[in-house]
Order: sequence, then C-alpha cells, then structure tokens
Amino acid sequence: MDATTVIAVISCAIVLAAWLVLPSKATTVKPVVVSEERKPVSISA
Amino acid sequence: MKIDSGDTAWVLASAALVMLMTPALGFFYGGLVRRKNVLSTIMHSFFILCLISVQWVLWGYSLAFGPDKFHLIGGLEWVGLNNVGLTPNPDYAATIPHQAYMVFQMMFAVITPALISGAFAERQRFKAFVLFSLLWATFVYDPIAHWVWGAGGWLHQLGALDFAGGTVVHISSGVSALVAALVLGRRLGFGKEKSEPHDATMTVLGASLLWFGWFGFNAGSAVTAGTLATSAFVVTNTATAMAALTWMTVSWYHKRQPSVLGAAAGAVAGLVAITPASGYVNVMGAIVIGFGAGVVCYLAIQLRERIHVDDALDVWAVHGVGGTWGALATGLFATVAINSSAANGLFYGNPKQVLIQLAAIGAAWGWAAVGTFLILKFVNIFVPLRVQEEEELLGLDISQHGEPAYAL
Repeated sequence: MDATTVIAVISCAIVLAAWLVLPSKATTVKPVVVSEERKPVSISA
Repeated sequence: MKIDSGDTAWVLASAALVMLMTPALGFFYGGLVRRKNVLSTIMHSFFILCLISVQWVLWGYSLAFGPDKFHLIGGLEWVGLNNVGLTPNPDYAATIPHQAYMVFQMMFAVITPALISGAFAERQRFKAFVLFSLLWATFVYDPIAHWVWGAGGWLHQLGALDFAGGTVVHISSGVSALVAALVLGRRLGFGKEKSEPHDATMTVLGASLLWFGWFGFNAGSAVTAGTLATSAFVVTNTATAMAALTWMTVSWYHKRQPSVLGAAAGAVAGLVAITPASGYVNVMGAIVIGFGAGVVCYLAIQLRERIHVDDALDVWAVHGVGGTWGALATGLFATVAINSSAANGLFYGNPKQVLIQLAAIGAAWGWAAVGTFLILKFVNIFVPLRVQEEEELLGLDISQHGEPAYAL
C-alpha cells in the first residue's frame, strides 16, 4: 500500500468515524423567519 | 494529419457540457442571493456566455493560444480565427479540428469571469460589470492561459501541471474575486442583517448541473476519447463526492446540523480542487484531494467571515483556496502511471514538482490580484463600480434591468 492510499484510507475513516458521534438531529430549532422580501411584490406595468 | 471522429465527437460534446456550466453557475449563485437580486445574478453568467464567446473568436483565442511572444502572450496572428481552421494543430490536439479545440477552450474562457461575479453580487453596476469582464478576460485570463497551456508559455515550459484549469480558471477567478470584494466594499447591512439564500433548491440544482458539466471540463481536457479521459472522469466524480461528504461532516460538527447547501458547496469545492489534478492522479489521490478540499475551503469561509470581507458567494474560499489546494496537491499526488507524458509528484519520488506547482500558484495569484485591482480602478474612472444606495436597497433586478424575477 503506497502513501497516497494510506492517507486516503485515513481520510475516509475520519469522515466515517465522525458520523458515529455527530448529533442525529438539530439541538436547537431555528424559528422560520419570513422577511419582508418574501411577500408578493406588485409589479407596475 | 488524420482527424479521429471519436476524439472530435468527445471534445465537441465536452464543449457543450462546459457551456452548460455557465448558466448552471448562474443558478447556483442565483439561489444564494436575495430574491430582489436573483435575475441580475443569473444575468451575469448568461451575459458573459455571450460576451466572451465573441471576444474569444475575435482576439481572446489568439492571445491565449496564438504563436508565442516572449513566453508571455500569444500573438495576433490568429485574430478573428485567422489560421484557425478545420485541420488539426499538433501543438494542442493532433486528432481533432483546430476549431474544435478552440471552441472547447472558449467555454473555459467563458466560465472564468462568470465565477468572479459571485464576489460582487447584489451591488455591482451592470455597465461596470460589462467593462470589467471584457478587460479582465483580455488582460488577466488570456495571459495566464498562455503561460500555462499555450505552446511556449513560461509555466508550461517550466513543467507546471494544470490539467483543466486549477491555476488558469480557479486561482485566477478566486483571487480576483477577493480583490473585487475588497475594492467594491461590503453590501449595505453586511454583518448586521442576515442575507439568507432565497432559494436553496435552485442552488442545489445549479451545483448538480455544474457537476454534470464538469465531466466535460476535466475528462474533455484529455482532448482524446480514451484512457486518460476515462481516468479523469472517474477521479473527478470521486473527489467531488468525497469533498461533499467531508464539507457536510465538518459543517455538521461545527453547526450541529448536516447542511444541504454545505453538501452542494462541498461538491463544487471538490470539483475545483480535482480540476488541475484530474489528468495526473489516481483514485486514491482523488479521495485525498476531495477530503482536503472539504476541510480547507470550509475553513477559508470561516476566515473570510472573521475578517469581514464581503465576498458575497465565497468565490475566493471555494475557487481561490480550492484551486490552490488542487494545484499544490497535483504536485504531491501526480503519477506517471496515470499520465506518462506528465511527471511524478512528491509522493512518487519527485519533490521538485511541488516547487514548480508553487511557482505556478504564486504567478497566478500575483497576476490576478494586480491585474484585477488595476482594471477595477480603471473602470471606476468611467463608470462607478457600485450601484447607488437606493438602487442597492431596491434590488438590482429592478434597478439595473427593470425586471423582477418572480411575478408572484
């Protein structure tokens, strides 16, 4: 196994291992903010 | 010289794939801006597709790929596609019509200034954008393309490896984006009010289309329909997927949620980073390059936020930093087992290649930064770079184009 392969395997292992410990859902729920810009706009001809 | 129909078909199809990337970029960027600016943001990409298509056949291709002058620029012998006919040019692609190679390269010249537009989104005056893009393509893109890809270009002769545009496309646009963001200044309300993407679905669709088109960008750069194109295709897909997974994981750790936009941005960062390496590295190298892109580009965004630079759509972090990482990684992981006409990198016994790659990176950063600064200052003499305050508040769709994006 060459050095590139070793680093690639370690990279994949880091990502996979992270998924085991990361939260399964958001710790806080953000309120949905509806900005003024989301209101329908009137278009003058 | 005999024209190979398979090679010609692949390069023409690749040109069409790369062409699609520019409007795809418009959608990628368009989803990230506020709804009052989406049309103007898409227009940046669409307009550049038209503008550079004409610039390229008139003088751009000649400056970038024409007969070498002092190892710095192409001559004017090919202006208006004079001497660029349907017989192959062995300096660039020996088995396809010269015009097929020209039109393939045209699409690279098109998307590069379009990438910069993400930095000054939501505040640049359209007229200033037009002038800037034309001058930038001529005085920044064309010379760098000649240095790296032109027959006789000094970086080409030095042995710099850039298969599909890490320095030519991504470092040049990413660094220019940073300079443009600094020169134009921050948007009104930057840092005080949140500027949420108005349509994340549009951005994910744009990223997906970019991914699709990028197969033409990288695998097409083999300019033959054979083993090298196949290898470039495979490593492009691998690095992109790995970068998306990595970015999503890093942002999941940082923000405690797996971000959809993060996965899309990560994919683009992976595409950027594998671009210079795609014709030189194997699939394991692609995994490392994708992993690195996901980490370093994410960190670059954190740095950009910390120093309060309003590079609106993070062009520098994704393209400038991603392109730099890709160009450097090419010097680490390149192997002649993939491309016998290239060179090995550090991990295959050739540390000198890293130094050559650093020289190419430094040259692209320097020329892009200085050139962009001077062009912006020059344009500002004739046309103010920014829209007026009330125009920015109204939105660029109405103030610059007189059209709303959505009649809802």
